[in-house]
Amino acid sequence: MPFNKKLAVTSLLLIMSLVLAACGDATNTSAPAAATTAAGSATTAAGSATTAAAGATTAAGGTATTAAAGGPKVELTMSIWAGVDEAKEFQAILDKVNASATTYHVTVQASPQDYMTKLQTGLASGTAADIFWVDVDNLSGLASKGSLLDLTDMVKNDKTHPAANLDDYFQGALDAGTYKSKLYGLPWISQPLVLYVNLDMFKAAGVNPPTNDWTWDDFLKAAQKLTVDTSGKTADDAAFNPKQIKQWGFTSNSADWPPTTMYIWQAGGKTISDDFKTSPIDSPEAVKGEQWYADLVNKYHVTPTATQVKDQGFDTMFTNGKVAMFVGGAADSLETRDGMKGQAQAFLVPKGPAGNRLTQAYIAFDAINAKSKNPQAAYTALADITDAIQKWKVPVPRKSLSTKEAIQKAQPKRPAASIDTIVAALPDAKAAPVYPGYAQWADIWNTQFIDPLFRGTDTAENLAKKVRPQLEATLPK
Amino acid sequence: MVGDPIGDYLPTLIRFVVLAVVVLGVSVGVHYVLRNVFHLKRDIAIGFSLITPWILGFLIFNLIPIVSTFVLSFTDYNLQQTPNFIGTQNYETLIGSDINFWPSIRLTVLYSVISVPISVTLSLLLSLVLSRNLKGIGVYRVLYYLPSIVPAVAVVLLWRWIFNPDVGLLNLILSPILNLTNTPSPDWFGDEKFVLPAFIIMSLWTALGNNTVIMLGARKGVAGDLYEAASIDGANSWTKFLRITIPMMTPAIFFLVVVEFASAMQLFTPAAFARATPAAGRFMNLLIYTYGFQQSRMGYATALAVILFLLILAATIVLFRSQARWVYYEGQER
Repeated sequence: MPFNKKLAVTSLLLIMSLVLAACGDATNTSAPAAATTAAGSATTAAGSATTAAAGATTAAGGTATTAAAGGPKVELTMSIWAGVDEAKEFQAILDKVNASATTYHVTVQASPQDYMTKLQTGLASGTAADIFWVDVDNLSGLASKGSLLDLTDMVKNDKTHPAANLDDYFQGALDAGTYKSKLYGLPWISQPLVLYVNLDMFKAAGVNPPTNDWTWDDFLKAAQKLTVDTSGKTADDAAFNPKQIKQWGFTSNSADWPPTTMYIWQAGGKTISDDFKTSPIDSPEAVKGEQWYADLVNKYHVTPTATQVKDQGFDTMFTNGKVAMFVGGAADSLETRDGMKGQAQAFLVPKGPAGNRLTQAYIAFDAINAKSKNPQAAYTALADITDAIQKWKVPVPRKSLSTKEAIQKAQPKRPAASIDTIVAALPDAKAAPVYPGYAQWADIWNTQFIDPLFRGTDTAENLAKKVRPQLEATLPK
Repeated sequence: MVGDPIGDYLPTLIRFVVLAVVVLGVSVGVHYVLRNVFHLKRDIAIGFSLITPWILGFLIFNLIPIVSTFVLSFTDYNLQQTPNFIGTQNYETLIGSDINFWPSIRLTVLYSVISVPISVTLSLLLSLVLSRNLKGIGVYRVLYYLPSIVPAVAVVLLWRWIFNPDVGLLNLILSPILNLTNTPSPDWFGDEKFVLPAFIIMSLWTALGNNTVIMLGARKGVAGDLYEAASIDGANSWTKFLRITIPMMTPAIFFLVVVEFASAMQLFTPAAFARATPAAGRFMNLLIYTYGFQQSRMGYATALAVILFLLILAATIVLFRSQARWVYYEGQER
């Protein structure tokens, strides 16, 4: 067939008309969506008017509100980092929140792996969820880049949600959610670290359980008695063979868990100064904490090697009865975990040489995407969800919910003694010093300091002197 | 909530159809312009219009990202905010003061320079064995190729177990020698001395299958009459191997060296999942990921990506320049 000019022009026109038709179709398709959004906004406006009633109803008993919204609900999305089981529990909570909501409906997506990478790329491409979980390490970074919605005024004007009553929060948790005097996240957990102990293993080794007066030395003595080689010798025995260990007294891993910061604080040192100008990790106090931690691994051999921990899972090694003591988050509930061999209980971590037992608090927040198309509906959802999560997770950094009764109600299966420990540990939980760009500091800390320290390639004193300038180069100028 | 599958998918379907129609429209438009504006021959115009979709794909998915990478490497792009132009600051910081930069280059280049020749040599030798007409040779060929179709992450997890210092297979096999010489068991991924050998051993296992198939094809392509002629001239097996087999297979060897080197320099999956000690340095691609996605320093990460690109480009140019000395193409006069 000859391909002439007329045919080409006709084909082109035909194709362009098809394209226009298709685009027109797409436009038509999006028109109702736009209308829906407009209606949604109107609903949101109405919603904010009815929020008070809805919120009051929820607070009163969580029954479905009868307030008519007068339009379709705004569709919102939420991202969380929960694993399979935790996500199921969260979904059940969200289902109740959605059932009560009149102005919105939230769909959740859980991404336990690479959560922050996914969130950041989602924010960059404009596809991130309206509401998401963010932890203390990342909140200020996201806020400094304008990715989070400023919640200050919304929270101030909200008189209905208990989660919006800022007077009820511990100041430290609120400070961690604040960047340049603006509030960007409502905290739903602020957990101190506690010492999980396998009481059966203690009993078998003839070691008394920890007391509230335990010091580092007491802890070390117990850990040595509980570390046993294949011939039955314990780590405090001269004939002990550190190459053939079958049971360990304690466990840590090379990815900075439990956080070395905790031991530095307990020895009276700091990782980052309060004004964020220096990283005094080479002060005598800091070095004492760092070296103590490294010695547990390389000198006293009371914890498995980094590779063993990586391959076998460090909390799993505790629940399997291979490790007698484990520092974990208060909410980890290792005592009631499936497959826990022996009776476990949470105790306070031992006191350091500076006389304190400070631990690094893990704080997580609900935050809103600054580019959310429905910020008002997203706020209502965030406040409702935060209210609900705060009855699920422990410990919540709210004074009214940090009581023994409230925690026991949230986690009824846990031993009462563990709940007492959690309540007692709360005052000593402190947020890590975090600033925008902290990820760069943390990377140098982990790769240049913690990794060689735990592998025993150099002393804490030498490494600290070498790494301090590198860390300080990343601090805010 | 279970959505409406048809309703949810409809906008995507419409976009898909519109895209296809637009691409077709552009193809026809290209034909029209070439014929009527540039007055090219019909065959040429049809040829260009037919490759238009691929050119469009290359522009959108390759060229624009490549150019963007170069441009972003001169900015402070942090994934969230509008990038600001900062000149050559990223490059200066990388080369001048980044503690991870030189160890990363060292590890990546050493890995590539050592693993590629070993892998290509082994696959050449293996292809000679597998090219023989033995009974059940097909089974062996399949067995050697199998590792290539195992997902990379599964391979790494498997090797993490093999390399485990306490219960791993490799140290178990090595234990008689280690005990005899009173040497401690190597902590393959935990000790910086063993990280590079561990990655090289792991890479051989997967690369060997693919490379051997290509080598086998090349070996089978060597004409039998060359060997016959050589036999008549009194050449022994070793001479035939050196004077016929190797020269005739050099195009395949050259291809593998170029492709494998570029791929080795860009190693990512094993590096990300092996969780080796960072004391040995981090592979360049992993460092790019760390800077770009974990620290949100995308401008800085793209500068490192540009350096990686330049290293691969330089190596490829050197290899291409060298082929006149050692690669023999059939029909070529020497």
